[in-house]
Amino acid sequence: MTKTRVAVDVGGTFTDVCIMDEDTGQIRIEKTPSTPDDPMRAIMTGISDAGIDLADVTMFSHGTTVATNALITRKLPRAAMVCTEGFRDVVEIRRSNKEDLWDTYKDVAKPYIPRRDRLTVKERIDAAGKVITELDEAEARRVARILKKRDVKAIAVCFINSYVNGDHEVRMRDILRAEMPDVHISISSQIMPEIFEHERFSTTMVNAVVSPVVVDYVSRLGDKLAEGGYTRDLLLLHTGGGVMTPASVKDFAARLAGSGIAAGALASRFIGNLCGYENSIGFDMGGTSTDVSLCFQGNSTVTKDWYIEYGYPIRFPSIEVLTIGAGGGSLAWKDEGGSLRNGPQSAGAFPGPACYSNGNEVATNSDANVVLGRLGHSLAGGDITLDAGLAEKAIRETVAAPFDMELHEAAEAVIDVANANMANAVRLLSISRGHDPRDFALVAFGGAGALHGAAVAKELSIPVVIVPPNPGVTSAMGCLLVDIQHDFSDSFMADASQTVPEDLEAAFARIEKEAVDRLRHEDVAPENTVLQRTVEMMYQGQWRSLAVSAPATITSTEDLVRGFHDEHEREYNFRREDAPVSIFRVGVKATGVVQKAELPSFEVTPHAPDPASQRDVWFKGKSCRTDVYDRATMKAGAEFTGPAIVEQVDSTVVVPPGATAKIDQYMNILIRVKD
Amino acid sequence: MNMMPKQELDPVTFEVLKNSFITSVDQMAEQMLRTCYSFVIYNRDFSNGLHDAEGNCVAQGNSDIAVHVGTLHHTCKEVIRFFKGDMYPGDVYAINDPYAGGTHFSDVRLIRPIFDEEELIGFSQSNGHWSDLGGSVPGSFNVTAHEMFGEAVRITPIRLFHKGRFCADVANMIAANTRDPASIIGDIHSQAQATQVAERELQRLVGKYGRDQVTQGMDAVQDYVERAVRQRIRDLPDGTWEAVDYIDRDPGAGEGMIPIHIKMTIKGEEITYDFEGSHATIASIYNSAPGATFSAVVAGMKTFFPDLPLNSGFYRMVEVKAPANSVVSAQWPVAVTGFLMPFEKIMNAIFEMWSQIMPERAIACAFNLEYLLAGGNDLRKPDKPIYMFYEWLPGGWGGRNGKDGSDVTTACFGTGLMSQPSEGNERVNPTRADEFQIMQDSPGPGKWRGGAGVIKASTLLEAENTVMSYICDRERAVVWGVEGGLPSMPHGLMVEHVDTGEEEWLGSVFSNYKIKSGDKFTRPTAGGGGYGDPMERDPEHVLNDVIDEYVSVKRAELDYGVVIRVNDADMLDYEIDHAATEKARAHIRANRVGWARMDPEEVSQMYRKGKINEMDAVRKYAVILDWGTGELMPKSTAQFRESFEKRSVSHWS
Repeated sequence: MTKTRVAVDVGGTFTDVCIMDEDTGQIRIEKTPSTPDDPMRAIMTGISDAGIDLADVTMFSHGTTVATNALITRKLPRAAMVCTEGFRDVVEIRRSNKEDLWDTYKDVAKPYIPRRDRLTVKERIDAAGKVITELDEAEARRVARILKKRDVKAIAVCFINSYVNGDHEVRMRDILRAEMPDVHISISSQIMPEIFEHERFSTTMVNAVVSPVVVDYVSRLGDKLAEGGYTRDLLLLHTGGGVMTPASVKDFAARLAGSGIAAGALASRFIGNLCGYENSIGFDMGGTSTDVSLCFQGNSTVTKDWYIEYGYPIRFPSIEVLTIGAGGGSLAWKDEGGSLRNGPQSAGAFPGPACYSNGNEVATNSDANVVLGRLGHSLAGGDITLDAGLAEKAIRETVAAPFDMELHEAAEAVIDVANANMANAVRLLSISRGHDPRDFALVAFGGAGALHGAAVAKELSIPVVIVPPNPGVTSAMGCLLVDIQHDFSDSFMADASQTVPEDLEAAFARIEKEAVDRLRHEDVAPENTVLQRTVEMMYQGQWRSLAVSAPATITSTEDLVRGFHDEHEREYNFRREDAPVSIFRVGVKATGVVQKAELPSFEVTPHAPDPASQRDVWFKGKSCRTDVYDRATMKAGAEFTGPAIVEQVDSTVVVPPGATAKIDQYMNILIRVKD
Repeated sequence: MNMMPKQELDPVTFEVLKNSFITSVDQMAEQMLRTCYSFVIYNRDFSNGLHDAEGNCVAQGNSDIAVHVGTLHHTCKEVIRFFKGDMYPGDVYAINDPYAGGTHFSDVRLIRPIFDEEELIGFSQSNGHWSDLGGSVPGSFNVTAHEMFGEAVRITPIRLFHKGRFCADVANMIAANTRDPASIIGDIHSQAQATQVAERELQRLVGKYGRDQVTQGMDAVQDYVERAVRQRIRDLPDGTWEAVDYIDRDPGAGEGMIPIHIKMTIKGEEITYDFEGSHATIASIYNSAPGATFSAVVAGMKTFFPDLPLNSGFYRMVEVKAPANSVVSAQWPVAVTGFLMPFEKIMNAIFEMWSQIMPERAIACAFNLEYLLAGGNDLRKPDKPIYMFYEWLPGGWGGRNGKDGSDVTTACFGTGLMSQPSEGNERVNPTRADEFQIMQDSPGPGKWRGGAGVIKASTLLEAENTVMSYICDRERAVVWGVEGGLPSMPHGLMVEHVDTGEEEWLGSVFSNYKIKSGDKFTRPTAGGGGYGDPMERDPEHVLNDVIDEYVSVKRAELDYGVVIRVNDADMLDYEIDHAATEKARAHIRANRVGWARMDPEEVSQMYRKGKINEMDAVRKYAVILDWGTGELMPKSTAQFRESFEKRSVSHWS
């Protein structure tokens, strides 16, 4: 009986169950159609179809879109908010700005909790944490009785300045709980104890509204797995790129709001590291969009600036993923100014590209790839036939004719515009943050990533492209490769020159205790506990802080400040040695290291592989006779040069002329792109 | 008709360059946000541009504040005029001159020439609103100024970096004339580096595509936008449209509103805006110089072309004519720091005209922007430092065709601008917010109501030497409805004195008012104007507004004729009384024209006796009063009634 690890990634179309044999490291994938009304059904079907005995499973991890979908569709239980008197509308006033500045008919969505269900009580605490007005308990009890009568399922308690003193919020929670023991209550001083009321309230509101949905789902899934014989904790992938157990989900449900998005970035980071690249860019291109992520010195970049719907920030750290509307199905079109555009409109999964023969007649990236010979005449191992005639017709009519171009020139133009758009997205995450793409590898995956990866890399002077063994299911693998991770932070506003290391140590001691407690709560052994500190600083007078990593024992504030100057210069190209520096916040990332199985490794014997066939493929206006390889039959150590095409069930790899490729011990294809 | 691009670039290179130009200005914005010192910049009062070698705008950031649109090329050209033949790689210049196409002194632009080898190929420009530029009032908004002297430091083109070397002497001289020298130096560095981001990007493109293609691309993207605009204008009918909007008053003259008159003419693919009939400059800072007026026209019009990129291709499509020395064409040294007041009037007048051309994007008047500025010494800190409190509030936008107005949104002059957190203000300044919430009944009634405004009340904490200024308008030129919709409400600031407990009405514009610790100051912002006849609003929508307390039960009946019974407010159990509603609506329909034409003096009496409030005065009787004393403003009322008849009464059936 072999021990296995199971990761489940629920997508819009398919639920991927990824099973890893703990002894051999072999990975296999079971694909099942998703069941959006209750995602659990597809998961259980996948498990049973894959022949998994849950009693043999040592780790079950799961990236879920349950929270994301509930927020997007707003299928949320009735929730209420209790605020300081006079501040009922913080989440509706927001920062008052709009996502689209110029379109007066496009509004920011209304808050998740409507005005009628936002009640207030008398209380006020000042900026220093001093009570100005005591909590009016009689009023608090009245509010509790009203909310009970209204039968709300979740409550967010959000008081002004609670980030310095949460006593009133705690008391309010206790009063509510006495009246309604079964209702989910999120209080802002616990969810996100940070200054700025809208960001804190918004995060707390999101946490409250998704709690009933997520907690219910997680507990049902946990029960079901336990019934099947699984004895460990169900692990849930959170937006920050770690996993958490149901015990933490109960308090921090909103951390799962971007659960499904993080998996691809994690897989990309893992593959990059495996191939020896501490710096890598994840390039996950699917049918309608491309997700770009960045890993620097072994760590994914993380942002606290994100949301599901514009205007309602979720301030939990989130792996930074930039999504743009460019995918295999993106439409090419000519706008009224006479410019050739690509996306963001997409032909979607249906009708899909013209070559799918489902009635779409507008050229897409896939059609261009077919015309250029980069895609063959079938996909998914023959399940989908691509009609080259229809692809050609679409390119001719929607691109070649309006722009007065030859057929292949038009197809290449479509691809070039798509590649340039994607390269710009990568540029925003890399060059504009002070990273030099020449120091990175591009990990290309998703159904279309490997078709475009080499060209995008070349555009950006990225020297190497890594195509993992199963590009189409790489995201699911991401869920297998993670540790338990939590993020803690606390305000620490002080002049750096007035701060002695002891002050910082005292602040860290508080949050580190909380961190260690949380990991204990999740049964992480002390030897598997890792704490990483950051100190956020800024030049006095600046408005945004910059996080600098801090040592486990701080002996000198000057060293931290020096680190800040360096980081500021790397990121923004200037430093002000003479300007005073402020400390803004301290943070701790607490990791409970999960033992990871190793991927299988094969002996590398350098050899020239045999092509399965040849066909004509267009590159730079020329048709080239090109070797076509079948990835299923290729072995570690295979070395070949472009132009070449590698076909496999879930993807097609393009190796352009001048590039060289080889297959490494983990069966990744490494393409060296020449300038 | 030839729709083929006239550029010789291949379509791929063109599209790539176009997107790269835009990406480069967006990268500048990102860098500014992360490194700025001015909290005004931090809250997004900034913009960035990439220019060709002649100073024309090639790309402006899509998230940039509206009010800077169409002004960056003017200041770039002014810098070129000064430094032509004397520009070097590594130079950075600064300018804030409103008389040379800038907006107001607070908006300081840093401009960097970009070279490929020896050849000047373009400029990058970063424009940010600094926290203070000196003058007699903290924040540099002295509403009593008639001329620019003493308003702030005027920066005609100067050199801040010479061949990469920081000209500390010049920078320090500027900083030393402000209340916040350390931040000023910080923002100079922040903005100078932002301009370098675009330089790096442009040079990368030159490395890849060659100088010729890139400079050709800079022309081609302007042609591209021009073609798109021409195409759309050609598809519209020819004609002439007129609109007039008002500034509340000229403090140097008697009562009476200050008209801004615009006539728009579309002929073929040409479009002209003529300001003939607009008032002469006035004795306050609410004047606009020609550059800012041009910007207002472009910003108003761009609202109806939301998808098009911004560059000089758009700007050269628009012709603006204005009589000399009018309130929209002020010359040095007339004070123009409050140019945003005429700016928003122009924008809204343009909304009104374009709403007739494109009814599917129609929109009524938006609330007027407002700023509150206070400064003094903060006694909460041992060294009693100078503090500056500078705050603006969101409000409601106009009702739309088939849709209520947008609630609590930033002012239309800059929708990217963010409102500030109360917790941040309380920490930095000796003020505490007592209340900051949606203002019930502020939305202008209509079939589609205006968006809701807000009310904010704060108390001054331990401080001394505090003076306050308030920059607002539409206390008399009240936010108007269209297509039969009704106005929002007049507004201004009220102070409650801690020692006497008395309230004092200060109105919508004042400067250097002394206030004491413990004084409480309160002001609302308006909602948007209503769109369409409020008698035609679906009673269910009124009911929902009442449940959410956007609208009171009382005003539901007064403004909409919808009678609502409250069964159990705790359980949100409200009910429409349909029979009473029908009766109320019939009564209003039968009498409302008469109300709107009632003797204004009689209305003034009712107001003074407390029988009606200011919402009744403007929505029902179309009368403008001194809202403190109740005294009638005959001339303003006549002007207001003329507009009210046209925009509201004439559409009632």
